[in-house]
Amino acid sequence: MGGIAGGLADTLGVPDAYVRAAFLTLLTVWGLGAVLYLGFWLMAYDNVEDREVVAVDTGRGLGLGLAFLGLMLLLETIGWWPNPALVLTAGALAFGTAALTDSSKPGPLAALMDPNVDRPSRTRLVLGVALVIGGLSIFFTSIGAVFELGVILLAIVLTGLGIVVAFGPWVRRLAADLATERNERIRQEERAEMAAHLHDSVLQTLALIQRTDDPAQMMILARHQESELRDWLFGSAPLDGVDLVSTALKNAAAKVEKDHHVRVDVVTVGDHAIDKRAASLVGAASEAMVNAAKHSGADRLSLYLEVDEDALTIYVTDHGEGFDLDAVAPDRKGIVKSIRSRMEKAGGAVVINSEPGEGTEVVLSMPAESE
Amino acid sequence: MSITVYLVDDHRLFLSGVKAELAEDFRIVGSAFDVDTAIVEIRGLNPDVVLVDVHMPDGGGIAVIEGVNESNPDVKFLALSVSDQAEDVIAMIRAGARGYVTKTIEPPDLAEAVRRISSGDAVFSPRLAGFVLDAFAGAIPSEEDPELDQLTPREKDVLRLIARGFAYKQVARKLEISIKTVETHVSSVLRKLQLSNRHELARWASKRHIV
Repeated sequence: MGGIAGGLADTLGVPDAYVRAAFLTLLTVWGLGAVLYLGFWLMAYDNVEDREVVAVDTGRGLGLGLAFLGLMLLLETIGWWPNPALVLTAGALAFGTAALTDSSKPGPLAALMDPNVDRPSRTRLVLGVALVIGGLSIFFTSIGAVFELGVILLAIVLTGLGIVVAFGPWVRRLAADLATERNERIRQEERAEMAAHLHDSVLQTLALIQRTDDPAQMMILARHQESELRDWLFGSAPLDGVDLVSTALKNAAAKVEKDHHVRVDVVTVGDHAIDKRAASLVGAASEAMVNAAKHSGADRLSLYLEVDEDALTIYVTDHGEGFDLDAVAPDRKGIVKSIRSRMEKAGGAVVINSEPGEGTEVVLSMPAESE
Repeated sequence: MSITVYLVDDHRLFLSGVKAELAEDFRIVGSAFDVDTAIVEIRGLNPDVVLVDVHMPDGGGIAVIEGVNESNPDVKFLALSVSDQAEDVIAMIRAGARGYVTKTIEPPDLAEAVRRISSGDAVFSPRLAGFVLDAFAGAIPSEEDPELDQLTPREKDVLRLIARGFAYKQVARKLEISIKTVETHVSSVLRKLQLSNRHELARWASKRHIV
């Protein structure tokens, strides 16, 4: 009208529509709105042209809204409300309309069409609809109690519908955002874990290989890294916390490969949980592998485990020099003895087959159950 | 007349390495990095032996075998892989490969395997022998085909020795049979592996969506 509402709105930093709504509401309090409007008009007339413009500020708007509410309550307490129903109806309608028509942000109708329009306008839509409905219901209630119940029910239903329409897509999108965010976080954690693992293992090994001139050493490094990565990828870790003979053998073989620069091919048929006897068996097999790696001259060993109902049997085979069993050097005799005593103590048996030039095979067998 | 070999592997570095290793003993007629090119070229070239990687985009080695089997039934496949996963191995054999070796195989052993495959025999790595013993272990399922669903004691002996790392020649000597007999046993096991309906085999195959 006189530019007063707009000027005031800009100065205060709230949308024009709300200032107008405030004036309209005050109009019902003995025409206070008109008096104030006139007063502002008189005061502001001179500097309407170069009024200070303050950007729209939600926080300040809320503060001013609360102040206005306080003012209205004060007026009510001191008995300045001529007709509470009229004030409430006018106030609710004025502010509801303001919320719906405010042009400082994308309109509520646009928001209804396009769920991607910013969120505050949806909040405003709901508020606006609720206020209009509330205002109307107060109005109808005040003009006659006949339809009271029906009107209140209608108001509740309409308000509920309004909230569902306005908030539904937003709530859904919020939930979807949360799920996406959580999945993304999980993926990032997995990626970080994988990166950390690869950094500690594969990258280190690759760096080592680059610094190595010795092809044999390179081979060992690559082999070791390969089996480590394979375990990590395909998870030959023990299941349900039960350690298995096959896993223990693979670990023992990997250690021999690393320490003694040979290759060990491990093949297992069947499996068994590690108990005291199985542990002795694995220990003996390790010793046999180390022995073969040190003395056979072969660069490859075969380790074969077979488990059936009766026994666990391990074959440690090399295709190296072999030796005459009756003429073994004293130091090697010691190792053979050690393997033998280890097995026999646990109730198992050892057979060693070897001939010069034919390689060696150590057969370790352990009954599955003790009698 | 030298044996013609075709190579399929999406790892170019590995492919060129194998090519160099085999070039002395065989005639390498071609190679491909992907499944589709491989199928077209193998159909045209009809090589004796195809070395095929198990894991490749667009269906892997199985797709290559299946894409060629009908038009060129004489082409023999040797599967190569870095993986020792049982389901990979079994699936390749059931698709029609006559052998399986891991990529860490020594060059002379690989050459020997190619020769063996080209002459119609089967090639079992120690690991594959272990898988087969595992799959055929325990009581036979009562129904089905007992001839296909269990291994003979002699076949088991042969497989055990292969699993223990012995070459065919050594297996023959240990069992006091001829190499030819060892080859016959292994080929017979291969046939059972391809045709048997044993639960373990079906399970392994189904993991790779092969029936």
